[in-house]
Amino acid sequence: MADERSGEAQRLPAALVRWFSELTYQGLFATDRDLRVIVWNRWMEIHSERPASEVVGRQLTELYPDLCSRGLDQYYRDALTGHIGVVSHGLHRYVLRLPPTNRDLGVNEMPQSGRIGPLSDGDAVIGTVTVVEDVSDRLASDAALRRQIGVQQMARVAAEKALRAKDEFLSTVSHEIRNPLNAVLGWTRILIDRKEVEPDVLARALRVIDRNAAAQVRMIDDLLDVARIASGKLRLEMQTVDLLAVTLAAVDVVGPSAIARGIELRTRLDPKTPAVLGDPQRLQQIIWNLLSNAVKFTDAGGGVEVSVAPLGKAARLVVRDTGHGISPEFLPFVFERFRQSDASSARRHGGLGLGLALVRELVELHGGTVHADSAGQGQGATFTIDLPSARSAQVGRNRGDTPTRIATEAPSLAGLRLLIVENEADSRELLAVTLTRCGAQVTTASSCDEALDALRRAAAAKSLPHVMLSDLGMPKADGFDLIRKVRALAPEQGGRIPAVAVTGYVDLEDGQRALEAGFLSHVAKPIDPIAIAVEVARAARAADERTE
Amino acid sequence: MELTALQQDALVEVINIGFGRAAASLSKLTGQRVQLEVPSITMCPVDELSERLRPVIQGDVASIHQIFSGSVVGDALLVIDRQSAAILKELLTNEPALPLEIDASAREVLTEIGNILLNACLGTFGNLLKVQVSFSVPHLGLETLEGVVSSITVDREGLRYALIVHAAFRLKNSSLTGYLIIVLSVASIERLIRAIEQWERDQR
Repeated sequence: MADERSGEAQRLPAALVRWFSELTYQGLFATDRDLRVIVWNRWMEIHSERPASEVVGRQLTELYPDLCSRGLDQYYRDALTGHIGVVSHGLHRYVLRLPPTNRDLGVNEMPQSGRIGPLSDGDAVIGTVTVVEDVSDRLASDAALRRQIGVQQMARVAAEKALRAKDEFLSTVSHEIRNPLNAVLGWTRILIDRKEVEPDVLARALRVIDRNAAAQVRMIDDLLDVARIASGKLRLEMQTVDLLAVTLAAVDVVGPSAIARGIELRTRLDPKTPAVLGDPQRLQQIIWNLLSNAVKFTDAGGGVEVSVAPLGKAARLVVRDTGHGISPEFLPFVFERFRQSDASSARRHGGLGLGLALVRELVELHGGTVHADSAGQGQGATFTIDLPSARSAQVGRNRGDTPTRIATEAPSLAGLRLLIVENEADSRELLAVTLTRCGAQVTTASSCDEALDALRRAAAAKSLPHVMLSDLGMPKADGFDLIRKVRALAPEQGGRIPAVAVTGYVDLEDGQRALEAGFLSHVAKPIDPIAIAVEVARAARAADERTE
Repeated sequence: MELTALQQDALVEVINIGFGRAAASLSKLTGQRVQLEVPSITMCPVDELSERLRPVIQGDVASIHQIFSGSVVGDALLVIDRQSAAILKELLTNEPALPLEIDASAREVLTEIGNILLNACLGTFGNLLKVQVSFSVPHLGLETLEGVVSSITVDREGLRYALIVHAAFRLKNSSLTGYLIIVLSVASIERLIRAIEQWERDQR
């Protein structure tokens, strides 16, 4: 009995050793007290490329001499005194120098971690046992995790940067919007406080108020546009556009400030330039932004030139100035939102730093490209816009090379009869005064019914207005009702009068609806005298062309 | 039971010898100068362990735990706060640590460091007592200090006293503190103290 039991007990370890040898997914080997190998499992045979028959009986430190130089021989000496040693990958990289299993990790040895412990028989330590694990997979997934965390951190840094830019922008906006208000409020209070105001003081005050209010309107328009573009709500009213006409209109707007600053503004317009497909107002905004930017950054005595020419089948518009130029460091960022080259220049020149960002977004919405060049600070700057041409027939024109043409005043409306329909007295008066000053003969009406009465009387007197200007938002019958009723009239009753809509607030949909209802064009409030006069003149011309 | 000043000094001295050896092997492994010192050793009943450690270790900790047996029976742990554990791993491997829960490599490195320290400390005791101590495989736990302490008291009845060994790591101008806790039975403590006193007499 006793013999049988001890025989079983002796057979059991042999069976276990075989199990460990054949079935484990880890390297397992044992040595005697002299570190001679006594067990070398299947995993070790495969990964060391050494069969057990070749290894058993040989000394571990002879098979792997670097164990000593790497300090692991101490772990074996400790194991022989009963200690268990942990061999971490982080501190040792590997236990034994074995060929790698994953070449992507870029290491020459299989990364491993292991445990070295005593092989005990009762209280006596008769050798050592080592378990080795291949940690290649763990390293690969760690690396992936680290990459992922890196990407997330980068995204967070970018988001924080954007947030900071917005904060800075917000403080710029507050500052810039407050500035014109200070001037407006200051002068308004002066006028209110004084019992009598000298005409030259009054004129000066009004000029200041007008200039500052207009500046603020532009800023808010820019902000609204940026918000619309950001939310994808900006819609373009695409049509075939004569880029030369649009350029001239923009030059007309910027001209006065160029003259005021002593800057020569020149145009070079090639009549062979193809028409482009676009939104005329937005195209004008693009050019206006580039021109006003050029004027802003050019000192007295300098020059700004805008040229429009064909470029293959496309059209190229170039705005070149002799101004401050752009430093090479800032050049890549000129079209970024909320960016100005530096805080001090922002303070010197004012503005929100949105103009060029808007330019790029609008140009891209038109399918075009814009880029900036500058030889450096003080070397001037050049902005080049390429726009695809409209496929439709070219817009006819007979202009020739246009010489410098700057409208410093609103166009003359002499001889034109106008009917102004507006329910608000202040606005009606403003429109009447503005257009009368341009030479027009103005009749006003405060409602749809009054307007129709006025038309009837005019038809009877055979002096129909040349252009009708109507507010869209009026109580009871509004501008849309009016135009429908007018268009229902016979031509001799005024049914074909060209009409310009005045939109109460900046809303493109209203503008679009106005065009569909029968208005020729629309102008947004607040009223810019020059813009309204230009629009009226254009409407009158359109009527002329139709009758010709 | 309290340690006398003399017994304390003697214990600090013998453990420092073991730590010196551990520091040398860590320095060799990492290729940088690692210093390990024992500023102090205190002893307390296991029941008071939590109370004693709470002022010095807060929140979640990493613990490397090894049970030892032989002529002396007990429980040994290296306890280090999570943040120090991550810093220690970074300093030793020159690789940024991820949170320990997901960083198996960092856990393994900390296990090895704990193992080296516990071996050094208990190996010294073994030499003193002229007995061989055998260890269980070390394992690393991530839990609260209370969790660590309760796992000792719940699992190991009969273990009454704990030696708290402050272990200070100094490397790359950084200094980190861990706590080696060696829990022993009354009989083992008494044998250890007698052996220390004998060693102390032999030194003179």
